[in-house]
Amino acid sequence: MTYAVQTMVDAVSVGALYAMSALGIGLLFGIMRLINFAQSEFVTVGVYTLMLSAGLWFPFAALLAIVVVVLLALAVERAAFRPVRDADPATLLITSFAVSYLLQYALVLIFGARPIGFDLLPQLGQPVLIGEVRIPRLNIVTIVVTVVLMAAVALFLRRTRIGIEMRAAAVDFRMARLLGVRADRVIAVAFGLSGLLAAVVSVLFAAQTGTASPAMGLQLALVGFVATVIGGMGSLPGAVLGGLAVGAVTVLLQAVLPPDLRVYREAFVYAAVIAVLVLRPQGLFRSAAMRERV
Amino acid sequence: MNRLGRLVFGSTLAAPAALFALSALGGSAAQAEDTVTVGFPVALSGFVAPYDDGPRKAALLAIDDINAKGGLLGKKIVTVEADTKSDPGQGATAATEVLSQGAKMVMVTCDFDFGAPAALVAESQNVIAFSSCAADPKFGVQGIGKNAYTMSTTTISQGSTLADWAFKESGFKTVYLLKDTMVEYTKSLCDSFETRWTELAGADSIVGRDTFHGMNDTSIAGQISRLKATDPQPDFVMFCGAINGASAVRQIRAAGINLPLVASESMDGAYWLESVPNLSDFYVAVYGSVFGNDPEPAVNDFVKRFTEKFGAPPVTGHALTGYSVIEAWAKAVERANSFDTDAVRAELDKFNGEQLLIGKTSFSPELHINVDRPMLVMKIVDGKHEPVGRFVTEKLPEIKF
Repeated sequence: MTYAVQTMVDAVSVGALYAMSALGIGLLFGIMRLINFAQSEFVTVGVYTLMLSAGLWFPFAALLAIVVVVLLALAVERAAFRPVRDADPATLLITSFAVSYLLQYALVLIFGARPIGFDLLPQLGQPVLIGEVRIPRLNIVTIVVTVVLMAAVALFLRRTRIGIEMRAAAVDFRMARLLGVRADRVIAVAFGLSGLLAAVVSVLFAAQTGTASPAMGLQLALVGFVATVIGGMGSLPGAVLGGLAVGAVTVLLQAVLPPDLRVYREAFVYAAVIAVLVLRPQGLFRSAAMRERV
Repeated sequence: MNRLGRLVFGSTLAAPAALFALSALGGSAAQAEDTVTVGFPVALSGFVAPYDDGPRKAALLAIDDINAKGGLLGKKIVTVEADTKSDPGQGATAATEVLSQGAKMVMVTCDFDFGAPAALVAESQNVIAFSSCAADPKFGVQGIGKNAYTMSTTTISQGSTLADWAFKESGFKTVYLLKDTMVEYTKSLCDSFETRWTELAGADSIVGRDTFHGMNDTSIAGQISRLKATDPQPDFVMFCGAINGASAVRQIRAAGINLPLVASESMDGAYWLESVPNLSDFYVAVYGSVFGNDPEPAVNDFVKRFTEKFGAPPVTGHALTGYSVIEAWAKAVERANSFDTDAVRAELDKFNGEQLLIGKTSFSPELHINVDRPMLVMKIVDGKHEPVGRFVTEKLPEIKF
């Protein structure tokens, strides 16, 4: 019984990190229709920044990571994506691959490919015991931060002028521009926000793994994309729930599959993803922007 | 032709011409009477580079040692390097480059997949190719050809040795297997451990097992919960983890699991220990200690001289394999009194318990990897490596290709 409850806790906590990762990816997709593969390197650069600032006062190190990643996201938007903004989505996708490789190999060049160990917020690894169930503090923090950030992003999109402009751009970019929405500003803010979210993910991920390695953000971003797709392209609650679902299914399968089949766990996870897409091709949630209006 | 086309075609035509010119120059220099060339088509950049770095530097140190004693058969050893860029496809190009500069022997990447393309090119030109530490027995006659050797101790004997050590030396009676399924090495390690452990302690002594994926599992919370719920708890965990193993160990210890963890050379080195401060009760089987406390004085002397030459000690004990590649080849050359590949290979195949820095080394015309070489078991106490001793399995595993 304890094991069952513990597994549910694990499922939610693994899902929460994926959910947060999906939030950043979903945000950019919703506004720009951009599948940004470089999002994984935004997280990785955040982790390396934290590794370099290991030993500094934590709030300062975290702030530094946020500043570095947001500036990186803005620089990437300005240098790589703005010149090809009007190109078709395939060009944008390839550009994001190029940026992703560039950043990854830049990290290999500077730090080498060998993982580097460091100890960030060790106290977060200690569990809180509720009865027999063990909940690492980090998981509680991850869940709380995910909920808070999702609410904050939602408020930002609904209550601020720039947020409303972003939503307008998401529905019809050309019309929004005709009505006076400044495209450069809207897109730069979207990139900045996705950078901010990536930086927060990097803090939580670094506290969990205690390791910096050049390709570590890849899996988070990959699951983030899958989550965005099954959640409903362009829907932020959809992306978050999609991330939660993928994480939860992964942990549950790990718990119930017999040892021989556990090796093939990913196959079962993605079979479930395909099943969702067959039953609901538009994803679990459907954003207003993606609806056909005839 | 558009600009891009000209660029592509222009460069494809120009590149071979330039290469040819370069190799002609290099070739003539290398074929000078008083030198012999050793080639390093290894990863100097990219993801595999850190794993080639130690063995390559150690090989350079071995070459310095030989040259200081007057060279090999009166010739000074010179080296040429070509970067495979951690790309198996580039391995063949890099090998061609060093061979065209007259390399009489090549040392290739510390991995079957990344080292094999270069070794195959050497094989096609009848030149000996040594991998520093590819641990797959296919890196030899059966997988590549008669000129391919590896200085590694095969994975399956590492697993077998750890089972013998854990059961007989440590007195552990029950085990939990935790296997990283990302790479072949860790799978093969856990499987061979299990085979030998079952012979020694019986199948019932394996109280649980689980797998994780070093890359895809961003968290191993589920695996930790299963281990925690295992009743009775095992005496130790056989931890078959590799490159990202540090993250898993951090999560295991953070969850309050203080069981002894037993691992192999893939967890060698101190570079990851910052992830798990004050780690204790962690055992790791390695080629040799890079901390200056190896029971073999020769290894400590090597680490000292390596540090003097390169400014830092080797990151892991894999460096020893690179030194011994040069040692082994030089011994075979001296015995054959020739650099001729067929003569040198015949001498290498006669190695029977040959004492090298890495330990005793044997080859035969059929087997170009070591199965019966002892590994040094080290214990990590409070973040510090302490040697326990060298051990080898009492029952050599059967090699399957």
